[in-house]
Amino acid sequence: MNLVDALFGSFAIPFMGRALVVMLVLAVVAGLVGVLVNLRGLEFISDGLTHAVFPGLAIGLAVGGTAGLIPGAAIAALAGALALTWLDRAGITSDAAIAIVLTATFSVGVIVVSRSSDYAGELEALLFGRVLTIPPSEVVPLVVVSLVALAAVALTLKQQLFRAFDARGSRAAGDSSLVLDLVLNAAVALVVVAAASTIGTLLVLALLIVPGAVARLATERMWWLFPAAAAFAAIAAWLGLAAGYAISVGGGFDLPAGSTVVGVFVIGYGVALLVRVLLDRRHARTGRPRPTLEDAREARRGAEMAGLLSTPLVSPRKTS
Amino acid sequence: MTDATVLRLEGAAFTYPGGAGVSELDLAVEAGEAVALIGPNGAGKSTLLKGVLGLVPLTAGSVQLGTAAASVNASTSNDSTASAEPATHARNGMVSFLPQSAELDPDFPISLEQVVMQGRYRGLGLLRWPGRADRQAVREAIQTVGLASLAKHRFGELSGGQRQRGLLARALASEPRLLLLDEPFNGLDQANRDALIDTIRTLKHRGVAVVVSTHDLELARLVCDTVVLVNGTQLASGPVDEVLTLGNVQECFDGVGVEMDEHTLVVPGHEGH
Repeated sequence: MNLVDALFGSFAIPFMGRALVVMLVLAVVAGLVGVLVNLRGLEFISDGLTHAVFPGLAIGLAVGGTAGLIPGAAIAALAGALALTWLDRAGITSDAAIAIVLTATFSVGVIVVSRSSDYAGELEALLFGRVLTIPPSEVVPLVVVSLVALAAVALTLKQQLFRAFDARGSRAAGDSSLVLDLVLNAAVALVVVAAASTIGTLLVLALLIVPGAVARLATERMWWLFPAAAAFAAIAAWLGLAAGYAISVGGGFDLPAGSTVVGVFVIGYGVALLVRVLLDRRHARTGRPRPTLEDAREARRGAEMAGLLSTPLVSPRKTS
Repeated sequence: MTDATVLRLEGAAFTYPGGAGVSELDLAVEAGEAVALIGPNGAGKSTLLKGVLGLVPLTAGSVQLGTAAASVNASTSNDSTASAEPATHARNGMVSFLPQSAELDPDFPISLEQVVMQGRYRGLGLLRWPGRADRQAVREAIQTVGLASLAKHRFGELSGGQRQRGLLARALASEPRLLLLDEPFNGLDQANRDALIDTIRTLKHRGVAVVVSTHDLELARLVCDTVVLVNGTQLASGPVDEVLTLGNVQECFDGVGVEMDEHTLVVPGHEGH
């Protein structure tokens, strides 16, 4: 297999073409929503939602089969968005308390799944996705859920950015912080729902967090963050699927598609970080004003990325 | 109350749910008039400003903003609908608030111009995006505070004083009838102080009412018509020269080693002016 086949020809196969469509839509929407997650420092809440959605998926699957997945996940996601918004606003900042609630919901999901006959297979599909075996009938619902998440953020975008920059100023200008938080958390929840059958509820965290972080490295211009995140997400999703196909079919080493995509996202972040650090060094040497991204912040974000892969359960809450 | 009265407090008290607050407030601000709030840290100056904005509940007396009023009787002091009323006026674009820029994330990827544009958002609502008139208003506001050459710069790269002026430009861009300034001079150098004083004068000429909390007696003398001394309750109010006497100020600051001259107020344990 040559490079052209891997990058383009492979997607002529129907299941690869479907995977590309849903993965592109999901990655771009998650990347755009993720810019706000990054600016608001909501990584922890996003992580929480990925866990809160799981029992909804499990119950949906138990009640309605695969057709029950999206409704079950949507209900759980919106309930989770409400609960986490409330926890955040009530000033309940105990990571332990939130982590306990989330692992509890997670274990409920596992128990429900364990009642089914194909326990291991279904658990794996929910956690890590089944992007290559999405039935054609699920493509439209997934795209619709993604677009609803995108619309929710797009409609409130000015106000979301205002709140992210200056929460008190936004309230003083009459914006409802409750409504804005609910809309953003619900959008994140819907992304998790759309991700459940594509890339899985755990791996979607990378799609939500990495493009926004890369965009922050690439530009300091507010409106460029969104095209930068979307472009990175689209290219990384495409390359990830192509790489997974090439290695599995051409190389004979069977790679899970979702994890390969996440791997490409993280490698892309590493490259972006390296380029940024090198550019900063050069700026420092040539005596031009140094771009203001600080090494300390980068180190912290880098550590978060590493933590994301090794311990996907609960990431440290950012102090804002 | 004349038509020109923009803000009137009568026996007003603003109290946080935890119990801290400020009470017995009586003041009236006319269009084009500036009032200085003077008192020690923790005296309730910021609470008063946030109360006018509706961010701290009104628990007694009344607040009148323009032609709309909110009031609380002693018997219904928990009436949350009454205390929510002034926030509606903020939404209608009547009141602007200048926060302390130190609270903002200097890493946030946003330009000065984009910060100032936020002042136009409440006029636009959710669905509309800024148009030519909004961009024009933003340009004018940035010019008024003297930062035209820095409009495209990232907000976090500006100096503390420039950021403060930038936030003032944002407040101007919303074309308020009442501008609330919370310790706007903290940590500013002379050039930035002068620029701020000029801007406040320009605003007064345009008929904007200004309420400013400050430790800076020079600011009070140069641009304010009335001074209100606050320490938990309102201790004195009136024209600058009558109220701003050493005796009054010492009483307001609990008499502990206050020194003052034409320009500054020196209080042990207080930073700046």
